[in-house]
This record gives sequence, structure tokens and C-alpha cells, in this order.
Amino acid sequence: MALEDYKRDMDMCIRCSVCKFIPLEMIKGYQHVNVCPSITKYNFHSYSGGGRVNMAVAMLDKRIQYTPKLLEIIYNCQMCGACDISCKDVMDMEVLEQLNELRIKCVEDGYTVPVLDRVMSNLRKHGTMMSGEKFKHGQWAEGIDVKNFTKEKSGVIYHAGCRMSSGKTLWRVARATVILLQKAGVDLGIAQEHESCCGGRAYQMGYKEDFLRQAKHNMERFRKSGATILVTGCSDCYHAFKVLYDKFGMRGDLEVLHTTEFLDRLIKADKIKPTNELPTRVTYHDPCHLGRLGERYIHWEGKEVPGHIRIFDPPKEYRRGTYGIYEPPRDILKSIPGLKLVEMDRTKEYAWCCGAGGGVKETNPEFALWAAKERIDEAEATGAEAIVTACPGCEQSLKDAIKDNRSLLKVYDIVELLDKATLRGGH
Amino acid sequence: MPLDRGIYRAFEDVVGVENISEDTAILDSYAWCGLVVAARKPITPEDEKKEGLLRYPFAPRAEAIILPGSTAEVQAVVRLCNRYRIKFKAFSTGWIGGNVPATPGVILLDLRRMNRILEINEKNMYAVVEPYVITGQLHAELMKKGLVHNMLSAGAQTSALPMAAFQGTGHLSQTTSNGERNVLAVEWVTPEGEIVRLGALGSSGEWFCGDGPGPSLRGIIRGITTPQGGLGVYTKAAMKLYHWPVPSTFRIEGVLPHYTPSEIPPDVMIRYFSFPSYEKMDEAQRKIGENETVFALMGFPISMVASNLAGSNQEDVELFARLRGMVQGPGFLVVVAGASQREFEFKRRVLEKIIDETDGRSLEYLDDPKNSGPLLWRTLRPSGDAKTICRATGYFGSIFPGHSQFLPITKHTQQVMNWKAEELIPKGLVLDDGGCAFPWTEEHGWFAHAEAFFRFSGTPESIKAVQQTVGRAWKLHLQNPVGVPFDAVGDQLHDLMGPSASNYHVWLRKIKKAFDPNGTSDSARYITARE
Repeated sequence: MALEDYKRDMDMCIRCSVCKFIPLEMIKGYQHVNVCPSITKYNFHSYSGGGRVNMAVAMLDKRIQYTPKLLEIIYNCQMCGACDISCKDVMDMEVLEQLNELRIKCVEDGYTVPVLDRVMSNLRKHGTMMSGEKFKHGQWAEGIDVKNFTKEKSGVIYHAGCRMSSGKTLWRVARATVILLQKAGVDLGIAQEHESCCGGRAYQMGYKEDFLRQAKHNMERFRKSGATILVTGCSDCYHAFKVLYDKFGMRGDLEVLHTTEFLDRLIKADKIKPTNELPTRVTYHDPCHLGRLGERYIHWEGKEVPGHIRIFDPPKEYRRGTYGIYEPPRDILKSIPGLKLVEMDRTKEYAWCCGAGGGVKETNPEFALWAAKERIDEAEATGAEAIVTACPGCEQSLKDAIKDNRSLLKVYDIVELLDKATLRGGH
Repeated sequence: MPLDRGIYRAFEDVVGVENISEDTAILDSYAWCGLVVAARKPITPEDEKKEGLLRYPFAPRAEAIILPGSTAEVQAVVRLCNRYRIKFKAFSTGWIGGNVPATPGVILLDLRRMNRILEINEKNMYAVVEPYVITGQLHAELMKKGLVHNMLSAGAQTSALPMAAFQGTGHLSQTTSNGERNVLAVEWVTPEGEIVRLGALGSSGEWFCGDGPGPSLRGIIRGITTPQGGLGVYTKAAMKLYHWPVPSTFRIEGVLPHYTPSEIPPDVMIRYFSFPSYEKMDEAQRKIGENETVFALMGFPISMVASNLAGSNQEDVELFARLRGMVQGPGFLVVVAGASQREFEFKRRVLEKIIDETDGRSLEYLDDPKNSGPLLWRTLRPSGDAKTICRATGYFGSIFPGHSQFLPITKHTQQVMNWKAEELIPKGLVLDDGGCAFPWTEEHGWFAHAEAFFRFSGTPESIKAVQQTVGRAWKLHLQNPVGVPFDAVGDQLHDLMGPSASNYHVWLRKIKKAFDPNGTSDSARYITARE
């Protein structure tokens, strides 16, 4: 659906400001009521989900034209979907879909941000959106005996993702994942140097065609492998494979699992046994694309039923974050002996974003850092010694903030902790 | 017309370059006022002849948006407005159209950066807040101390500042009354840019009283229906606090949209009662008020209970179809809470007796805590109001006859609802929600708030029908005044209503003239000094 197809939804915006806050039922105090990094930092209403929707109506009505400020507002958004979820606590309307379409319209109209154009150029040339340091996909797996699914059949694909593959400090997570899965008897394969970007972030940035090209390319390779399950530890990739590929009818029967879902299953099936004590107090950061945005895509086609109350035929089910992946990572943490999980004020469907999403890390790194610092402050307030997450993007963003804040908080990917709890010495 | 560059830079110098904008993208997001209220009222014969009653969702663009961060910045901006004769209008969380300028040439002061809770004084039972502290924040902090404030039924996302309130009434008004009763000391930047500290603040630096020692201008700064940006800027205010008889922690479980309390505390109960007639319902409400039986009372028709409970419009339709067959007529929602089991039991028994005497019937659906729990929490913390009011249709219109004696205003509202039930609903012009009025008592049952409420899809026919009904209700009101309607804003409506209400409009004009000689504080939703 194009932006104009959402016009009726946009008209439903009542400017109530609910999109700016966590669901009102869940407010626990003065602190941590804000849910949208963008409006929290920039304050003008336009930087909220509702404000952007209002602006989009003005664009469609041709009241406003493209200006640098308009683009700055559109792109200073992590596309974290928090506004969408809060709005859907009180309204039946899409917000994030509109914000995505707004970006797609900008790209189609030729109004883009130069730094993102460079990122996309890298994707087109090298199959990755990571720029700067040169890296080779699959290098992280050197020395591990794991199948190459592009050469031999494997039941399960492990996709490390560009961020995990490009950051040497993150390689240990990918390596530990593979070893844990193999020890649990999983028939695993990786693409090694043939791994290519999922394209999810391209879509979030508005480059729909680039996303579709990546999706097509990846799915061809996945189909050939004969695998029925794809596992990834990157929440952006997870969302792309599970939700976006499905949205565009490309996923087929491939089951997409986040490593936390898969590992949780294996723990519950007694195939992985965390036995080592980790006497530590941790808090868990829900990645947006695993949590509220990680629920399945709901295909729907229909029309509004004539009448006053806005209902549809067939009934439309909204994605409200209800079925995001919240419990598997928590269950893994709870399965580790000695580890104590304490929750932050903003969790699950109303978790605060790590700041890195939607191209903000590239277009406005200061803003990304600011948002991550806010999360670190919140984590510190729990008294936790470490913040645990399940996405290399979040991990990197939180680490950047810790460094900048001179915080003593440690950051772990959940796999690292499970690895420590499972095998002496880890990997 | 863009602001003169020199003037723009002067504003910029006050708030900083990052806190002012005149970019059209920003201005238009502020100009959006949605499709919420049928704004125009065809009251006079001239109005009725006018074409184009339909409302465009964009109000006139502001000249600039300014985000002041302190009282000093507000003062400096206001002074500049006076120096350059530019109109200004300030707002806090800004819902329902009152936050937009009605005419071009106005700069908007978005008070979002002024968001601190300055004090919670447990001993003297008041809280001091800035305009962008939201109700949810203050409620959550007060709960921890066993206290509560007068919360507006506009929702927990709206400002907690009592002077920001359009009317200041809500679910707890049975216990806390309405906005004007809860204002203590206030810090006010007058339309000319003077900082005036009212009540105890004016003499002692304390916030405990709105009427002194120190200047008492409570009536002046509030007026009859609040100035809504037409009389300077209220930058801080204290409000009364009350005992919170519910446990200080109220654990909510589940994932959106199925939030539910882990348990209903033992000395708290929520019930919905329906009655065979408005007369019986009125009698029950009066008795409940006289006996101080309940903590919260909301005059929801059953359709609004369905909207509040439902997680989507589809669920709303199905639930309403089910619930409307379970009620015998108009009704209301109550929360009974006791500080002790004994108090709770006493109140519960008194309530039972009242309901028995008035032929009321309790809605069995709420006997199941799974059903009643979410409704209880969304009543105690007004967090379901946007969906209750707006989700179904996006548009709503409401006729408020004003705060006044219970029976006259409920009779007025019921009359309007009869028009809705007999004329609008059968013609399919508004949502068929059972056509019940929406009244509740305050202050021991004598005083009340009431609304005649319409939800409609926004077709030209439905907008026109609602606007005509609003006009008709106003005419009824003018023939038989029962208070000043809350939607009496602007010169025309005040001039119409004033002669029926002690000529209050003459006094409002005098106030406006005295405090705003340059007419800089935007009067579109207040009154101008023009004779």
C-alpha cells in the first residue's frame, strides 16, 4: 500500500499524544514515561508518530513541499515502532506502516539523505550495508567445522547478519551460537562468504526496491539449500526474514527463528543444559525488531464496512506487539543458575529503543548515542551489573553509550551468557 | 506572513535556535486538529444560512512554534509579543482543538519542555507541577504515597496542571470535584509579561492556598469556561491532594491490548448499574453522592463500557451487542474503595441498598474479575479515554450544558439524547450506541457534569446533523439556561450566553481589557476586549 492508501487511517489521528508515551496503564512513576526517542529529544510535535502522520497528510494535500527540515524530521526516527504500539492501545490505525511509506515516497520522489545513499550504494556493490572497515562475510566462522549450506544440504540455516559479521568483537557471539546449536545436535549450515544482507534496514530507510532485490536473492539461495528453518541472532535480520519477506509474499514455508527462540526450545527439550552458576544481576533490553515488531505479519485484504464505527470485512487484525518475542530470551536467562533478572521500567512492547535503528546511526550518530544513553541510565537504575540483549545492533549501540557515559555496566548478548553457563570457559 | 527576521532572532535569542521553528512541516503538524469535534454551531439564522459548515482538519498555521523551557523564557517571549504586537497562545499537552490558533498571525508556545513535578507535599496535601507533567506521571508518583489528585477524564496523557484543564472533571470527580475546586497557588505570566504569584505563593512562597495570604485571582484567571490561552500563561500550579484508598502498588500484567491487574485488591470493587429509567438513575446518583458512597463514578452508557473494554473496534461491536442486552436502560460505573475492610463493607452495603431502592441492576459481566479488572484500572488511572471516545469513529461531538445543579443539567442532556435516539440514530446519522446521556454527580450529589455524546463517521451528512443538533441544544440552553456550556468560547458564544448568566461576559471583557491591553494573548477561544 502506498502512502495515499493510508489517508483514512491518517485522518483518524486525534492528536491525543498517546503515541509519545508508554501505554498509560503501565506508567510506574515520573521517570521513563516517554516511549519515542525522537519527540523526547527534539520536542516539536512533528517529531512524534502522530506529528509525522499529520505532516504526511499535509504533504498529500500539497500544503507543504520537501524542505531540508522535512527530511530531517522524517529521518530522525529510529522506526522503532513504539509510537505505533502505544497508538494501538487506544486506536485502530497504522502508524509505523505510514512512516515507512512516507520514507518510500521520499526515495521515489528523489528526496533522500546523502549518507543513506552511500549506505545503499555499498549494499548494491558489496551486498552489505556496513561501510567503513572492510570485512568478509563468514570470516567469523574460521576454525569452526560448520557446513556451507550453499554447497551441501542442511536442515537449519544460521544467518549471522552484516553487523555481527563486520564487528570482530561480535564474532564470539556468532561462534558461540554455532557451537551451542551443533552440540545440541542441530544440522546447521552457514553461507560463509556468500552471506548477503537481509535488506531489512534498506526497507526501513525507504529503499524498497533495494530491499526487494536482496529478499529475492536471499530466498533463492535459501530455497536451494533445502533448509526448513532459518536462525539468526540479529533482530533486524529476524524481522526482515520473518515479517518483511512474508509481507511481500517471499518467505514461503521457511520458518524463521531468532536464536533466543531456538535456544529456548533446545533448553526446554533438555538438549542444552545451563549448569554453570553465573551469580550476576542483569537486566534485559528488548530489541524493537525482536520484541514489538517481531510478531508475524498479518496478511489482510478487505474493505471498510459502511457505517459509523470503523470496522472491516473481513475483520482486520492489527499488529499490536502482543505476540512479539518477549518470553524466550527471559526464559533463557531464568534458566541460568545464579543469574537474577531485574526488569527496567520500559520493557517488551513498550521498550525504549537502543537508538541505532532506522538509519539514525548513519544519519545522526549523536542522536543514536543520546537514545542509547537514556537506555543505559534506565538499566543502571535497576541496580543490574549488566544489560543483556539479543541483537548485535543494540549491543553495539549500548556499548557506545557505556563508553561515552563511562558507565560500569557490562553488555552481553544473551548467547554469551548461555555459553558461559553451558561450557566451562566458553568460546 | 513570515515573522520579520529581527523579531524571529529576538525569539531565538530567548529560547535558543533549537527551540523555535517556522518551517512549514513543523507548522502544519501543529495545525492539525483532527476530526474530533463538530466545532461550529449554527445557532443564529445567519449561521444556518452559511455554507461550508464542514471542518477542515487543519487550523490556520501558526507564525512560529516556540518551546520555552522556563517561566523566565515564557515571560521574555510574552514581552517580545507585546513589544511587536504579535499574538501568542500557549498550550500544554494540547488535545481537542483548543491548542490551535483560530486565526493566522499567532505564535504558539508549546510548553512541553516545562515538565517537572516541583513538589509533592504530603503533610499539607498538595502537589506543584509544571504544565507538561502528565496525569499518568503524577498519579503514579502520588499512588506511592497513598495520595491522588483530581484527574481529568481526558486521559492520563494530558496535563496534570489544573489550570490547563478545559473543565477539569473526570472519573474521580465524585470524590475530588472538578478543576476549579482543586486549584491552589498559581504562577502566572500575564498577557503583558508580568509574573504574578497568586494565593499563598504571593506572600509566603508556599503553595498551600489559592486564596491567600496574597492576591486571590482564582476566579479572574479561570473565568467561566477557562481562557484556553486567552489570558497569558500558567506556568506552575499547585493542586489539592486526596487520600488514595487503593493499594499503593497495583500490579498490571499482560501485553497490549490485554493489560489486566494481577488481582483486584480486597477492599476495592467496580460495578456497573443500569436502571429502568433516567429518573431512577438520577435518584441513585443523587443518593450515592449524598451518602459519599463511592470513590469514582463515571456516567458511562453501556456502549462506552464496551469501547473501554474492547481491544479493537471489531471487539467493541461484538461486546456492545452482547452488553446492551444485559442492561435495562441508562446506567453508570462506580468504584467503591475503603481504607479499611470495615469502611469498604459499610460503603458496599449502603450502595447495595441504594441500588435496591432505585430498581438498579448490576451488570453480571463485571462479576468476573477478568472482565472487570482492566476496566477498574482504566477508571482509576484514566487511561482508556481516548479509545472510549475516539477509536470507534474518529469523530465525536459532545454537548456540555456546563457545571450546574444535577437535575437541570441532566434533564437538558437527556432531552438532547432523546433527539439523538429518536431522530439521528434511526436515520443512520450517528453511531447507534443506545443513545444514552452521560451524566455524573459531584459534591455530594447536588452538582454535576453531563454530556450528550455523539460518535459519527464524518460523512458530510453526519457532520451537518451533529452540528445542527449542537445548535439546537444551544438554543434550548438559551431558552432555559442551566449553566454556561463548556463549549462557550469566543466572542459570539459568550455574547449569546452572557445575558442569561449574570452578564458574565461583560466582566470577562473587563478582565481581558485590564490584563491584556494589547490584545496579544489569543482570544479566539476566550473573549476579546472589544465592546
